[in-house]
Amino acid sequence: MSNIDRRTLVKGSLAAMMAGAAFSRAAFAQSSEPILLGVSGPLTGPNAQYGTQWKQGFDLALDEIQAAGGVNGRKLAYSFEDSQSDPRQSVAIAQKFVSDPRIVMELGDFSSPASMAASPIYQRGGLVQFGFTNSHPDFTKGGDFMWSTSVSQADEQPLLAAYAVKRLGLKKLAVLHLNTDWGRTSRDYFVKAAKEHGAEIAVTEGYIAEERDFRSTLVRVRDANPDGLILISYYSDGALIARQARQVGLKQVICAASSVYSPKFLELGGEAVEDVHVGTRYFPEDPRPEVQTFIAGFKKKYNGVEPDAFNAYAYDAMNMAAAVVKIGGADRRAIRDAFTKVKDVSSVIFGKATFDVESRRVKGAMNAELVVRKGQFALWDGKPT
Amino acid sequence: MSSWLDYTINGLIVGNVYALVAVGLALIFGVSRLINFAQGSIYLVGAYIGWVAVVQLHTPLPLTIIVVAVAAALVGLIIERFGLRPLQNSVRIAPLLATIGISFVLDQLVMLTFSPNPRALPSQLPDVRFQIGGGTIGPLDLLIAGVGITSALLLFVFLRYSKLGWAIRATAQDRDAAMQMGVDVNRVNQAVFGIAAALGGVSGLLVGMYYNQIDTAMSLQATLKGVVAEVVGGAGNVPGAVIGSLLLGLVESYGVAVFGTSYRNLFAFLLLVVVLVLRPNGLFASARQAPPEPLTGTFIAPSRPVRIPRWALLVATGIFAILPLLPVSFYVLQTLINAWLLGMLALSLTLVAGTIGQVSLGHAALLAIGAYTSALLSLTFAVPVGLAIIGGGLMSAALGTALISPSFRLRGHYVSIATLAIGEIVSLVILNWESVTRGPIGISGIPPLSLAGYELVSPISIYCFSFIVMVVLALLQGRLLGSHLGRSFRAIRDDDIAARAYGLSLNRYKSLAFIFGGFAAGVSGGIAAHLYSYINHETFNTQQSILALTVVILGGLGNVVGAIVGAVALVGLPEVFRIAAEYRILIYGIVLLLLVRFRPQGLLGTM
Repeated sequence: MSNIDRRTLVKGSLAAMMAGAAFSRAAFAQSSEPILLGVSGPLTGPNAQYGTQWKQGFDLALDEIQAAGGVNGRKLAYSFEDSQSDPRQSVAIAQKFVSDPRIVMELGDFSSPASMAASPIYQRGGLVQFGFTNSHPDFTKGGDFMWSTSVSQADEQPLLAAYAVKRLGLKKLAVLHLNTDWGRTSRDYFVKAAKEHGAEIAVTEGYIAEERDFRSTLVRVRDANPDGLILISYYSDGALIARQARQVGLKQVICAASSVYSPKFLELGGEAVEDVHVGTRYFPEDPRPEVQTFIAGFKKKYNGVEPDAFNAYAYDAMNMAAAVVKIGGADRRAIRDAFTKVKDVSSVIFGKATFDVESRRVKGAMNAELVVRKGQFALWDGKPT
Repeated sequence: MSSWLDYTINGLIVGNVYALVAVGLALIFGVSRLINFAQGSIYLVGAYIGWVAVVQLHTPLPLTIIVVAVAAALVGLIIERFGLRPLQNSVRIAPLLATIGISFVLDQLVMLTFSPNPRALPSQLPDVRFQIGGGTIGPLDLLIAGVGITSALLLFVFLRYSKLGWAIRATAQDRDAAMQMGVDVNRVNQAVFGIAAALGGVSGLLVGMYYNQIDTAMSLQATLKGVVAEVVGGAGNVPGAVIGSLLLGLVESYGVAVFGTSYRNLFAFLLLVVVLVLRPNGLFASARQAPPEPLTGTFIAPSRPVRIPRWALLVATGIFAILPLLPVSFYVLQTLINAWLLGMLALSLTLVAGTIGQVSLGHAALLAIGAYTSALLSLTFAVPVGLAIIGGGLMSAALGTALISPSFRLRGHYVSIATLAIGEIVSLVILNWESVTRGPIGISGIPPLSLAGYELVSPISIYCFSFIVMVVLALLQGRLLGSHLGRSFRAIRDDDIAARAYGLSLNRYKSLAFIFGGFAAGVSGGIAAHLYSYINHETFNTQQSILALTVVILGGLGNVVGAIVGAVALVGLPEVFRIAAEYRILIYGIVLLLLVRFRPQGLLGTM
């Protein structure tokens, strides 16, 4: 499939995409079949909630893409295969996608074991595996068909450390982290950055994802006598920890990673998450047009529900997919090459996303310092809590 | 010092939460000698019915509790009537499998109705906190303790002094004798399931309120912890279940205190193994109590295996062998590769569970040991992949047998529980032993399969390789079963006292079976590691163990061909149902239930 004048097409902004789509529609009117993306992710099993959030983000992005005339005049669509985040199923799905000529690229999977087990198949099959939530440092080392827009923890954690140590003035920290590859990597980057800023790490505690009771862990935290708690958690466990910390009488400042950024965090945490600080990539009042389009569109499509971090990742991922397909057409290799060419794609998380060809990741995530005030996420006003 | 008081209080608070599930499990086990794996699902259903009542209907707390108890009891009655009663006269393992199938179905139904997103379940009690030690407790703690202890006491009194209670205990001791004395055994079972389910539902509600959070993943965890607590206290012993739960909570809390949070579950499962080894009937089983399992092998009833003519097997093997030459997609080949890998695991499990009667629920641990050994050998010591996989098999055989040997003196369900615990322990050791296993980061960049210097990377070559390995293992196992060893294994399964009287050393034969089985499982894990190129502690999880057992029971216990047929069916079915998207696991659960219902001895029968 040929590309007409790539450079004029790719401007990155939504406006440019619309213009480009209108332009290419004329050129490719003969092709009516949608361009198909494969998605491998959990729709059942213990991580099913994240697959559901992906879908919401994808569907919103697709609505906008379709409304703007599709990609190169064709509709964009995805085929979501449920992997349960199980490596046995993700490898079968990988073969399925690789041998299906209609699939032009793949998105997912969710967990590292499921994603990285499938990587060799995508790499050998010459199909891009676009792991937009895969923060495992080795994910993109699987080969030149592995690309990721997951915010690198090497980027994110220093921002959180700066928020906690320099802006909030915390000097002695207790770090609670999910004991997964993500939580562990994040913790290491956080601890390094916090120490560079001059803070002391009093204690770090890793907990497994199924854990619900943190009282004994919090006694350990209390005995270490920190002046701040850092949560490297997802929203459900983050809310549990915050609640139990307040229940056992810990009054320290709590500062959490962006993965808790979800209306569910507020719902599940209730009053206990009041005054919790969260370093995020965007916030509801963010004046950036891509953020406003995303939030307004999401609320309109899903009955007023606020989007969360995973919705945003999926939304960005679909827009990125549209941008690379626009350059690469429906050819798998050309799409791989398109990742090196795509520039300044408008993104909720990154502002303007451009891949670093060396690491096959995107650098320079946006930063917003939020705090929960009156049950809502609000931009931190610099006042101590 | 004050910290220890806090750890103690926290341990008791959590133990309190576990007790609610454990009491229900104990009641059911007491009467039907069944570990009800669906108890966690009833707990889940109770939590979501509670959510509807509280958030949608705004019922006051007493009414909420009644609504949840009645609704959950109804679910329990339905399970008993349609899921379990038809299996009364079939093999003892069939109801166990049925409860696993029921839990799939219930969990999926809740997930489809309410979406998998977690929800807040606000507590309806006033938010006051009482200072105790360095921490606080709230009214919900007291309510949970009250419900747990009161229900245990009420049950105790009910079982001891009421007429229905006598009937329940009589049924528990000797079902046939009770029937002869005119006890309506079905009514007793109904009463027990109703009570246990009501309790399970209310505990889901209270625990959901306690954490202000309910989600569909809570069911398996609740079952696991409840089972541990119940077995520690003495299976079937209601007050024992409460004390076992408190003990479990304390051990976990002290474990966190001394070693840190990531060791928490390690202590829970170590406690279980230690108790099982020292006091196989639990801490509070009295000496007078009848043995919890029958002495002879009714756990696995003999049935007539389906005879498959040799030519049919040869033809089937031939077809699968030349399959890659036919125009089939790589997707089909990949699915079959998964089936062959699961088939090797099932061969291993069908030997230890079916042939010698040690029903293991922790078999994924053998995969993990084989996978890590093979991955580390090839990465760290540059051992050729083919040899590394064999090394993985040997390590799995050696380590697996050593780990499992403390449970050799156990029988029936207790073996399953002990192996479940050992499986969890292996996974937690992998998570925490970072200097060797790299902990949660896992091992990446594992070299692909290769043989004599040739890399096997195309699906066709991987298919052929795994198929040949599986066929060789199956042939060896067939040879083993036909020898005097196989006959001794079956003798031990069918009647271990008679076997011992005949002069067979039980431990030696059990070890032999685990060595052979461990090798097959380890090889399967090793191949998987090189196929996936990345493994971590989550790659081989409890669900794998349960899947393997399902395969084995489906195929027919001890049946070599059955294990492979079962593996193909259980890998294939979820793939076939892909078209049904979110509904596929529900359909899978229903198919499983139907199979157990109509063919409890497995597709090909027990050998």
